[in-house]
Amino acid sequence: MSDMAVRVVRRMSAERSLVRLAVLTLAVLIVFSLVSSTYFTVINFQSMGFQVAEVGLLSLAVMLAMFTGGIDLSIISVANVAAIVTAQLLKSTNAATAEPAQALAMTVGFILAGVLAGTACGVLNGLLITRLRITPILATLGTLQLLNGLAIIWTGGEAVYGMPTVFLNIGIASIGQIPVPVIVLFAAAVGTAVFVNRTGIGLRLRLIGANPTAARYSGLDNDRVLMITYVASAFLSSLAGIIIAARSASANADYGVSYLLLAIVIVVLGGVNPMGGYGTVTGVVLAAFVLQMVSSGFNTVGFSSFTYQIAQGAILIGVLGLNALARRYYSEGRPTLLKRRSRTEPATPQPPGREA
Amino acid sequence: MSRLSSTLRRPPLARLRGGNNEGVLVLLIAMLSVAVGLVTPSFWSLGTVLNVSTNSLTNLVFAMGVLIVIISGGIDVSFAAIGIFAGYAVIVLANKTGFGAPAAWVGFGIAAVIGLGLGMLNAAAIAGLRLPTLIVTLGTQGIIRGALLFYIGSKVIPNYPPGLDQLSTNYLVTAQGAAAQGAGVTRLSVLIIPAILICVLVSLLLRYTVVGRGIYAIGGDAESARRTGFPVVGIQVIIYALAGVLAGIAGMMHVTQVRLANPYELVGDELDVIAAVVLGGASIFGGKGSVAGTVLGVVLIALIKSSLILLGVPSSWQRAAVGLLLLIGVTAQALSAGGPRRRVDLLAESAP
Repeated sequence: MSDMAVRVVRRMSAERSLVRLAVLTLAVLIVFSLVSSTYFTVINFQSMGFQVAEVGLLSLAVMLAMFTGGIDLSIISVANVAAIVTAQLLKSTNAATAEPAQALAMTVGFILAGVLAGTACGVLNGLLITRLRITPILATLGTLQLLNGLAIIWTGGEAVYGMPTVFLNIGIASIGQIPVPVIVLFAAAVGTAVFVNRTGIGLRLRLIGANPTAARYSGLDNDRVLMITYVASAFLSSLAGIIIAARSASANADYGVSYLLLAIVIVVLGGVNPMGGYGTVTGVVLAAFVLQMVSSGFNTVGFSSFTYQIAQGAILIGVLGLNALARRYYSEGRPTLLKRRSRTEPATPQPPGREA
Repeated sequence: MSRLSSTLRRPPLARLRGGNNEGVLVLLIAMLSVAVGLVTPSFWSLGTVLNVSTNSLTNLVFAMGVLIVIISGGIDVSFAAIGIFAGYAVIVLANKTGFGAPAAWVGFGIAAVIGLGLGMLNAAAIAGLRLPTLIVTLGTQGIIRGALLFYIGSKVIPNYPPGLDQLSTNYLVTAQGAAAQGAGVTRLSVLIIPAILICVLVSLLLRYTVVGRGIYAIGGDAESARRTGFPVVGIQVIIYALAGVLAGIAGMMHVTQVRLANPYELVGDELDVIAAVVLGGASIFGGKGSVAGTVLGVVLIALIKSSLILLGVPSSWQRAAVGLLLLIGVTAQALSAGGPRRRVDLLAESAP
């Protein structure tokens, strides 16, 4: 097979996975609408919108790390750190009883502080990975535990309450018919898409995932790109944390532990290659909505949440398995067991000449 | 071979350090013991030894399974789900049908078989479909835990079948007025014997069998292992099947020890075990790791946890302490190994 053919196959399979997702979305929609009369209603879609945003943002965070061939397991802990910082500040300054204008100013300021704190955790991840050369799985596994532990120490393991209405509105209000969290998710998705597809850093980020050695030999500063990746990932997780705190009217060190599996399922279902390099923001956002629709459908039909957990695991392995079989079918026995790719095959298009 | 000769050629101090930093761990454990002992003299008692052994028991067996997987270059986050599934299912089965109720070893046998079956799920996806191990085991973790809570049960069961009930109160040693958590009695379960036996068996397997050497070879470089003639797929199936069996047995030990079958337990505490294995010198890139190091890693974590309690530090600090310890451990490892980058560079330079 020539390089050209390999590239064409890959291009097609990237778009095929989007088409497959769209078909899946329609199928889920039709099945549950037929089974339950309350499914295809504005209210149900609104409630899905409120729920999908936080996990959608976390998925985008995992996606960025996976683009570089790494992974970020600390997303939940980072989100909770951001949520707890914001909530503690709002609580300790009695923002809930302040004048409306003052409460608004405090809310905006403390959200910034929370997001900043969460993003700083991303710097920690980045330092561990780039300076100390710890592999991303272990580095983020460690920070997952460390940050969670620090959050437990700070809160004493209890939920933090007492936020002003202005803050809570982020999680429960709608503009027009569209829930605010969905607007945040879409804004973040567009921002991420522009970052990944239209900036030099974004292109390098994917190049590193596709082939780190080639990236370095092309004169790229891998460490700088990786640092930016994990900081951006923590920023998205922090946004998720703010929405979680606003929606549940509390911040908790142990909130949303099950989101880690869900976020990785979404990213993989969205067509991102866990080995790095390939995937689209559109696919990930679409996958987040599909899984939310399945979850909501399970709810309306009356299935237990445990069956949804089974479904998540089955979807993850099923999708990856199908992809692996398809890959094996299209390119004769590429050594997928090894992360290395064969030398004759250019992994991605040439890096851009311009500097960011 | 090269490992052996390089060990012999090393200066005496480095030899004392051990191939997987075992010497450093021994030193660390000794220093910690002395420090805590100086602050609270009651630390120096039989009770502390029994307490740490009791707390390490199940993690030791879990860690053996994780060690095998990590040496082969993979990572397993499904072992806790497999363990609690097996342990809880045996209790439910014995209570409902009476099968295996009189004899505890039957329960352990069933748990091992359940673990084998669930481990084969991992084996099929990893060896058969060649998927990344972290993602596969995350997926099976969800499936196994969901299936346990949905199909087997989601209630805490206090009633034990007679065989396991008897085993749970079968103590090897009992110490009066022990140090841990004030006064009271510290006991060491008889289950420590099978736990140690399993460690010895895994050590023998890794050191003296073709399969064991194959596990190291695959972790070092799967392609080289294949060309050397190791049946890579077959060995991978054995790895994940064995890890499943060990997880099943460990889960049964846990359920027996706590005398309260709670299906929500274990999952979420995986990191303690993974941290112990990594602290014990096993490399996440594969090809490196030892049973002795892992045992020391498990003991170190249990020791730190009980020391924190002894020193009056709130238990909410434990999670952060283990996280910090893991980060320090992997940092030390990354610095001494020079990281994965150097390996890639060497490869790249030899290329035409």
